Amino acid sequence: MAGVGFRRWAQALSRGKGSGLSALLPGCRAASGGSKADLPSSYPLTPEAKAAAAKKYNMRVEDYKPYPNQGEGYGDYPKLPDKSQQERDPWYQWDHPDLRRNWGEPMHWNFDMFTRNRVDTSPSSMSWSSMCKTMFGFIGFMMFMFYVGEQFPSYQPVAPKQYPYNNLYLENGGDPEKAPEEVVNYKI
Amino acid sequence: MFFPASVLTSTLIITLFLLTYPLVLSLFSAPLKSSWATTHVKPAVKGAFFVSLLPLILFINFGMEQVVSTWTWSHTLTFDMSVSFKFDHYSLIFTPVALYVTWSILEFATWYMQDDPHMNRFFKYLLIFLIAMIVLVTADNLFQLFIGWEGVGIMSFLLIGWWSGRADANTNPRRHPSHNRVGDIGLIFALAWMATNMNSWELQQIFVALKGFNVTPPVLGLIIAAAGKSAQFGLHPWLPSAMEGPTPVSALLHSSTMVVAGIFLLIRMSPMIEKSPAALTLCLCLGALTSMFTACCALTHNDLKKVIAFSTASQLGLMMVTIGLNQPHLAFLHICMHAFFKAMLFLCSGSIIHSLGGEQDIRKMGALHRQTPWTSSCFIVGTLALTGMPFLSGFFSKDAIIEAMTTSYLNTWALVLTLFATAFTAIYSVRLIYFVLMPNPRSMTITPIGEANPQVLNPLKRLVWGSIFAGLWFTLGINPLKIPVMSMPPTIKLTALLVTIAGLLIALWFISPSGARIQTTLFPTPHHFTSMLGYYPTLVHRMTPKLSLMWGQTAADQTIDQNWLEEIGPKATATLSKPLITITSEMQQGRMKTHLLFFFLGLTLMCSMIIY
Repeated sequence: MAGVGFRRWAQALSRGKGSGLSALLPGCRAASGGSKADLPSSYPLTPEAKAAAAKKYNMRVEDYKPYPNQGEGYGDYPKLPDKSQQERDPWYQWDHPDLRRNWGEPMHWNFDMFTRNRVDTSPSSMSWSSMCKTMFGFIGFMMFMFYVGEQFPSYQPVAPKQYPYNNLYLENGGDPEKAPEEVVNYKI
Repeated sequence: MFFPASVLTSTLIITLFLLTYPLVLSLFSAPLKSSWATTHVKPAVKGAFFVSLLPLILFINFGMEQVVSTWTWSHTLTFDMSVSFKFDHYSLIFTPVALYVTWSILEFATWYMQDDPHMNRFFKYLLIFLIAMIVLVTADNLFQLFIGWEGVGIMSFLLIGWWSGRADANTNPRRHPSHNRVGDIGLIFALAWMATNMNSWELQQIFVALKGFNVTPPVLGLIIAAAGKSAQFGLHPWLPSAMEGPTPVSALLHSSTMVVAGIFLLIRMSPMIEKSPAALTLCLCLGALTSMFTACCALTHNDLKKVIAFSTASQLGLMMVTIGLNQPHLAFLHICMHAFFKAMLFLCSGSIIHSLGGEQDIRKMGALHRQTPWTSSCFIVGTLALTGMPFLSGFFSKDAIIEAMTTSYLNTWALVLTLFATAFTAIYSVRLIYFVLMPNPRSMTITPIGEANPQVLNPLKRLVWGSIFAGLWFTLGINPLKIPVMSMPPTIKLTALLVTIAGLLIALWFISPSGARIQTTLFPTPHHFTSMLGYYPTLVHRMTPKLSLMWGQTAADQTIDQNWLEEIGPKATATLSKPLITITSEMQQGRMKTHLLFFFLGLTLMCSMIIY
């Protein structure tokens, strides 16, 4: 790659466009690697275009599948399966171990969503619908039971406080000359 | 003996100064020595602890409390913000407790992190966290509390992701700020409500001016904030994920100090919360659900640190229940007791994991009571204190909470869930003791088992004294702020003990030969439910980021690029102009039909103008 880049840079310089820095810059750009042919292009309509696109993206023809041509702007970019990097083998010797990716591999359109720190599509022990039903069922059951608990609260039985000496008649400022009204707190 | 009020302020300012001095010194001095953590940080925290005992003694003996307002941040006509400290019942008791626990953890960390090349930075982070925590608990205004709140959150994030070379240690810390941020929205809403309605963030002014206001909206914001910080149900997954960090971080932040910040906020704002019965009920129900759910999760997990993390979440749920009972002082008592035995449990787990060469699965431990007798004994004392064994520290707070629950007028289901959680606490505690310490060794044969290092044993011994006697000291020395119910039937009085004993007996039956025949695979669905945390992290952590990132990509790519910048911009001009151009150019073809049409149209128009 470095050799190809250097050759392109030397060719650009030898064309003699401008002088000094203005000649150097196009040369540098030429040496940066990747040409216009490597960029995504329009949706492949013929089998030959599909084969060329597959080769461009470093894929086998049978694996290559573009996005549907619905005017969304995907062009010939391959539609890779929506699987996160977390699902990939942790013990394989990847070129980029943190990304679990080899050099030259086609990147998913939403690759930034499927890195190991983001969305994880690893299979779970239960299906998505079962998990949803169980979790929301549990939360719903708890909400219902809390509602029932509010309707039938728990408390210790209480009664009005009972005082001796005819409800503390004298202490409450009752007339000592008069006979107090007899207060019966309980009967046995 | 007369002590002027300035003694209280001076000692607490000295405490803060002792903690900030090593940090400030590290900014100006030459590259730190490798022993800086041992020679500067640990002695600073130890000194700060002993200095903070004086205000505690003054408070216990003379009831001395103080509010200190110093420098003014902002002074407008209607709104003042100043640096103010509240040295009251809560801050004067919590500060020495936090410093005592931190001192023990720092001493343990000098052994645990001795091979780490950035140990000094680690201790610096812990010190910054401690200062932020003390700022939080001593704050007399909500703005200062918010500064401490965010400070502890940031340091927690940095410390959880300490081992950033591992992908899991990179990923899991991100759960913590994402869940906390949801809670912070609630706190900011409450701050905004108080600023607009009460014109102040000073706690005294807020509590005085409550009359006539519907305080439910800001209190709900505070409850959301507490739910985020204290890992209540719905915002709880970050706590077990936080176990990716080093064990000293788990011991200090995620058991004793940071996680209780949410509960502490509710304790501070309890005069406001008690004005809203709906908020109290919400706290009660949320706390009960959290307590029971996380206790269930602890029953089926096999990672030692994760089980202790779930246990922490369960106790935090219990504290939230206590807030819902309008007993903030009991919640505070449980915060203090919990700090001792939970920190000790984490330090024991760190020692055990290190001794077994990094093994964290309890199924691969066993028979450690012979090889690490001190660690095993402390572990057993800690788990017994956790279950509420009579007259250990946990008993004084937990039993009081259950008594308050059973004698209160409250939601029955919340009471049932809490009692279940208490029983489950006993079950998973016995399970831990059985798997970790007894009966047969299931670990690798050659492991660096040993506990002869005083840096390991001294912190454990210090914390075990606290786990045994702290409850008695606190209840004898400090009067409760509310009078508890004194008379109740014996069954109600013994409820907590009976439920704990029931849990112990169930656990003992399971580990007996007859109970061991029951296989978990007979009940795969409940086992999956609890071992996967109720499927909550799987569903929420996959669905929410996927939807938001997909919508973001669609919005940026198709909505903005294709629609606004293409379809509605340049392409819209062409799309709208094209029909007009087509019609106009059609008319200019020179056809006889077109000429005749326009002739007769013009004639009709002229005739109608003449006639009418």
